[in-house]
Amino acid sequence: MSSALASRLATIVGGTRVLSREGELRAYESDGLPGYRARPSIAVFPGSRAEVVAVVRLLAETGSQFVARGAGTGLSGGALAEDVVLLGLHRLRRIVSIDAENARAVVEPGVVNALLTRAAAPYGLYYAPDPSSQTACTIGGNVAENAGGPHCLKYGVTLNHVLALTVVLPNGEVLSLGNAEGEHDGYDFLGAFVGSEGCFGVVLDATVRLLRNPSAIRTLLADFESIGAAARAVSAIIGSGIVAAALEMMDAATIQAVEASIYAAGYPTDAAAILLIELDGALAGLDEDVIRVSQFCRAAGARKVRVAADPDDRARLWQGRKKAFGAMGRVSSHLVVQDAVVPRTRLPEILAKISEIGTRQRVNVCNVFHAGDGNLHPNIGYNANDPDESSRVEVAMREIMRACIEAGGTITGEHGIGLDKLPYMEALFTAPTLGAMCALRDVFDPEHRANPGKVVPVHSCREWHAVPSTRRGAS
Amino acid sequence: MACGTKHATRGVVTGTSVGPDVAALADRVRMARAENTTLRVVAAGTWLDAGRPCAAAEHLNVRSLSGIVDYEPGDLTLTAKAATSLDEIARVTATQGQWLPLQPMGAAEGTLGATVATASAGPLASAFGMPRDHVLGCEFVSGTGDVVRAGGRVVKNVAGFDLVRLMTGAWGTLGVLTEITVRLRALPEQDLTLVVPLPTRGGADSVQVAWSWLRQSDYTPLAAELLSASLAQGLDVASEPCLLVRLGGNVSFVRAAEGDAATIGDLRRIDSNIWKRLAVQEPAPSIVMRFSTLPSRIPSLWALVSDACERAGGYAHATISRGVVRCVLPASTDAAANSLLGEMLVGLATGYTAVGERLPATAWDALARTRLTNPLARGVRRAFDPDHIMNAHILGVTS
Repeated sequence: MSSALASRLATIVGGTRVLSREGELRAYESDGLPGYRARPSIAVFPGSRAEVVAVVRLLAETGSQFVARGAGTGLSGGALAEDVVLLGLHRLRRIVSIDAENARAVVEPGVVNALLTRAAAPYGLYYAPDPSSQTACTIGGNVAENAGGPHCLKYGVTLNHVLALTVVLPNGEVLSLGNAEGEHDGYDFLGAFVGSEGCFGVVLDATVRLLRNPSAIRTLLADFESIGAAARAVSAIIGSGIVAAALEMMDAATIQAVEASIYAAGYPTDAAAILLIELDGALAGLDEDVIRVSQFCRAAGARKVRVAADPDDRARLWQGRKKAFGAMGRVSSHLVVQDAVVPRTRLPEILAKISEIGTRQRVNVCNVFHAGDGNLHPNIGYNANDPDESSRVEVAMREIMRACIEAGGTITGEHGIGLDKLPYMEALFTAPTLGAMCALRDVFDPEHRANPGKVVPVHSCREWHAVPSTRRGAS
Repeated sequence: MACGTKHATRGVVTGTSVGPDVAALADRVRMARAENTTLRVVAAGTWLDAGRPCAAAEHLNVRSLSGIVDYEPGDLTLTAKAATSLDEIARVTATQGQWLPLQPMGAAEGTLGATVATASAGPLASAFGMPRDHVLGCEFVSGTGDVVRAGGRVVKNVAGFDLVRLMTGAWGTLGVLTEITVRLRALPEQDLTLVVPLPTRGGADSVQVAWSWLRQSDYTPLAAELLSASLAQGLDVASEPCLLVRLGGNVSFVRAAEGDAATIGDLRRIDSNIWKRLAVQEPAPSIVMRFSTLPSRIPSLWALVSDACERAGGYAHATISRGVVRCVLPASTDAAANSLLGEMLVGLATGYTAVGERLPATAWDALARTRLTNPLARGVRRAFDPDHIMNAHILGVTS
């Protein structure tokens, strides 16, 4: 059956664009998060919108399950599943148009995030959501995951930047969601689609908002002798109403990993934590904000606050942050990158709790995260071939997730549920809420063929739609 | 939802007020479903004829679901029951130097629930976005009688499918909102409003100047709203079409921005209460349509719509950077007048997106398309309100 399907797919996209041999498929059995492997039975790589639609229609006709995939940089075990058709979209990398006057672009799903900003640069524009993987990850993947990034603190996540989508539903129907040229009226299916993790359909093109480059940028580096002091500085800045473009924290373990790598950014290696703070906008008034932010940092206990001297210095400071995960990869053979969010006022206590969990479980937790949003990334480097260490890492992660939920937070701020966070969904949401999510998925994909088994645990989908009790003759 | 009681006589025979207990509300919805009783959700009732006529047998009055549940200034988030007024939220948050920068058109006694359910916005949307950009979480009772808690109370959250966005702008047709968590902002240190009269009767040229400034200036305003001549006169801010500009930020920013805005035309400062006065300017029985397009096409859309509105005895205002022109016309009970208006509005809409905001009961089908054209709409309705008991027909009729 698989080879018959592969042959039919080959008639749509050409024989070289269909992979079905085990060795060829190995590259597609995991994403950016270690610990999950699932090999598709076929991988297909359409090269045009028409080919994507034809492929999805063939998959509908044959009742085949499929997983859409961009660059495979996801961090939730989302773009993989056993024995499915993997629908690779990286060949659809056309920037269809840039409308400089209205500051928007139409792009295909395989366009790499950073390349959109590069293409917009001649017009003085850029695309704001900037996940750390932005030099590799694609807009289609960003839409599927509702991706964030450091600068989402001021400018919003992917959802806030997508004006319209053309999508193909799992049944092959092509639809426009949102309105690129005016107000949207009716149910917000665009909002529902963004962040649906490939379970609602496949993006054919996206109309996204671009922002004008700020005329002035100030990047500050503040270093602290304790994580708690850095967290207090974050609270003071947020509470003051100054909206930083980015407000990032890195702890000592992360700083040391970065400074020992080729991404060394000049961070003080004896600091317990640093804050990387960016302020941008019009020049008028910006330096007053810089002074106030510096004062907040010093009042919270910063040893030193310095402002990047020039664009090169700024780029170097940011490179250390953006490549921190890569730098950690040098230290350990495996790295589990976590993602959770807590109310910003709870940061000091949750960071202390994470440290306590790490000590108790004897694992090295490195924190590098979007402090301004309360979006934590506790990462643990480990050796996955050591069963004891792997098990302690797993326990630590579970405890961290539980602590974040108990603090009134959530289990993912930007990486998605995928497979990795499925076990926590029932701790976070009530049964009727999970049922409602299943009901929404059924609207887009009643046969659950698109990215099967992700986001909502399958067994949570039962209790929705009950006939009212009075109709059953009960009280 | 702020569907009102005073004018809502279309087939409504009884009313049910629910207590502050969500479980009781869920019971009532389940019972109504079992009895095939259609419900119209009512809270403050300030926006009387918004939405299409509801075919409801009973009012579901949720006014008692009111009050702030949780407000943590340090997190800039607030959770309130759905019938909490925007006024109360503004009052409470102002004590902490914060605000919910939504300020939709209409009176401030309107509720948070209605604002979110109808996805209503005002001039501040150009800087702060629409309700979908402010709402972090919500609780609702679906048309199946299930109590659903979607989203959360943190400012960043991608856990699960996005029921929050689905409920925002669903007009209560999928369920009734009972509690909402929103993101707040700090009040700007300085909040300055300017009026810039626009020469050549507010024609395309002067509007083009305003658009060019907005798109190129370093100083993004909190709001920039065009007013047609009779609206400017009615609000006593100018005798001709004008641009209202609201600047917010620290002292240096606002001073520099004011200087920069002077390149649009002769400006003067006015009291910032103009925004509240604008929000409640229109008489209740007005006809309101919104036309929208790409922002760059606002000058031509504005010329077309504002002239036509003024000729018909109404007025218009436009949020330039969103590309939206709002057209307010006197309501008429005269069928011939309505028919003429219909032709005019349909003519105006050619090439633009037209959204009916408030229309006489008889005019909806002629003037506004159903909001349920998307084939997914039928499915979502079936999933969340299978018996179509919630605010039935308020978005039009599904086939």
